[in-house]
Amino acid sequence: MRDTDVLVIGGGPGGAVAAWEAKRAAPELDVVLVERDARVGVPVRCAEGVGDAGLREFADPDGAPWVARKIRRIIFIAPDDTEVTVAERDVAWILDRTRFDAFLAAQASAAGAEVVVGTEAAGMSRGTDGRWNVRVRHAGGDGSYRARVVVGADGVETMVGRWAGLDTRVPARDMESCAQYVVSGIDFDPDAIYLQFSDRLAPGGYAWVFPKGVGVANVGLGLVALKADGRNARQYLDAWLARRYPRGTKTGYTVGGVIVHTTIKQTYTDGVLVVGDAAHMINPLSGGGIVNAMKAGRLAGRTAAAAICAGDTSARRLSVYHSAWMELLGDDHLTYYRIKHALEDLDDGFFNSLARTVNAIPRAKRTLGRIFAHALVRHPQMIPVAARFFI
Amino acid sequence: MLDGPDGGGYRSRMRPARPPSEIAVVDLQVCDRCGLCLPLCPPEAIHLDLADLVVDGTTCTGCRKCVAPCPVGALSMVAA
Repeated sequence: MRDTDVLVIGGGPGGAVAAWEAKRAAPELDVVLVERDARVGVPVRCAEGVGDAGLREFADPDGAPWVARKIRRIIFIAPDDTEVTVAERDVAWILDRTRFDAFLAAQASAAGAEVVVGTEAAGMSRGTDGRWNVRVRHAGGDGSYRARVVVGADGVETMVGRWAGLDTRVPARDMESCAQYVVSGIDFDPDAIYLQFSDRLAPGGYAWVFPKGVGVANVGLGLVALKADGRNARQYLDAWLARRYPRGTKTGYTVGGVIVHTTIKQTYTDGVLVVGDAAHMINPLSGGGIVNAMKAGRLAGRTAAAAICAGDTSARRLSVYHSAWMELLGDDHLTYYRIKHALEDLDDGFFNSLARTVNAIPRAKRTLGRIFAHALVRHPQMIPVAARFFI
Repeated sequence: MLDGPDGGGYRSRMRPARPPSEIAVVDLQVCDRCGLCLPLCPPEAIHLDLADLVVDGTTCTGCRKCVAPCPVGALSMVAA
């Protein structure tokens, strides 16, 4: 049995920032971060794209070794392969998640948190003293921690939420099944990310090309299985890749789930906070979750530290984390979720037609707001989508 | 928000009165341990044990919600 004030479970971006912020907020507290895998940041289950502004809240990407590529353009591809270039500025970055996650864990460690790899949480129960006893397993055998606050940053499978009695289940319609290859020897604009929407190619989701370098990219897709034709995500991806980049060389492969839902109803309970994918804190339109997890991790780390210092780690006290998250981004995700479901009613013919409308706007004037305005005028099918944006 | 088209049964972790005729099984040769199926399981019958996926045959209700979403097709149904 090892005592700690804060135990963070999961060494991804959310967990690392939670550990780092807890320690920064209250250096006198013991903070331990446990990671199941032997290395933080391995395996990568991610397309590795992240927005510029959100990333800069936590780290400077300019010249950083954990960045793979700077992104200046987004190219939407209509179902009929019409390309629409939308943004023309420093919009995003493609990370090297293995290095990025290691960088964040090192930041947590430098702040004084203890980072323990190769250690899997196996269960937890609350003692009569109000602290959580967390059983862990590692190569050397079993162990346990007793913690005042447990931060569950254990990703899509979140066992921490389940053990704490929170409802982290998700309806099948709100789960994107994703598959991705790292493909080399292919031709594309290395300063752009490509997104293709099509019911035929990636029903309920989209296919992507995220550059890792010149001629090398994460090429993947996500789909909603309920809308699929019986093939799984990997089979859809193989078909898309054969169509788009038949001569590419696959040098890596991953699969995973992206929850395109809204934040779980309750992200806290006595002595427990849940962050990131584990709490469904993903932008349901884009499927992006890295910055969301870091922002939640920051709130969770600070909330945990303040609660421990005040001697009150009750659900009531920790609920400020949930309300702060909802105000920061959770409520926006509710809006995005409604838009996502409105967009689902639109078919491939609509998107082909929208692409032609947008390409008629001069590129310099092609802002998202202007696209939206044109779409409303030229495509009345968009009106329900717009309505849900404001309702 | 959680009770969407899945209806009222979605929230229930209870096993139905009658035992299911089939239950989910995982092929660990195919499974990538991504964890996608865990939150999809209404009775929370799936967990990861030292990173290996385990379907608890005594709590699985045979609802099939985990089968199609698996990105690699590692889950299937067998007679209970």
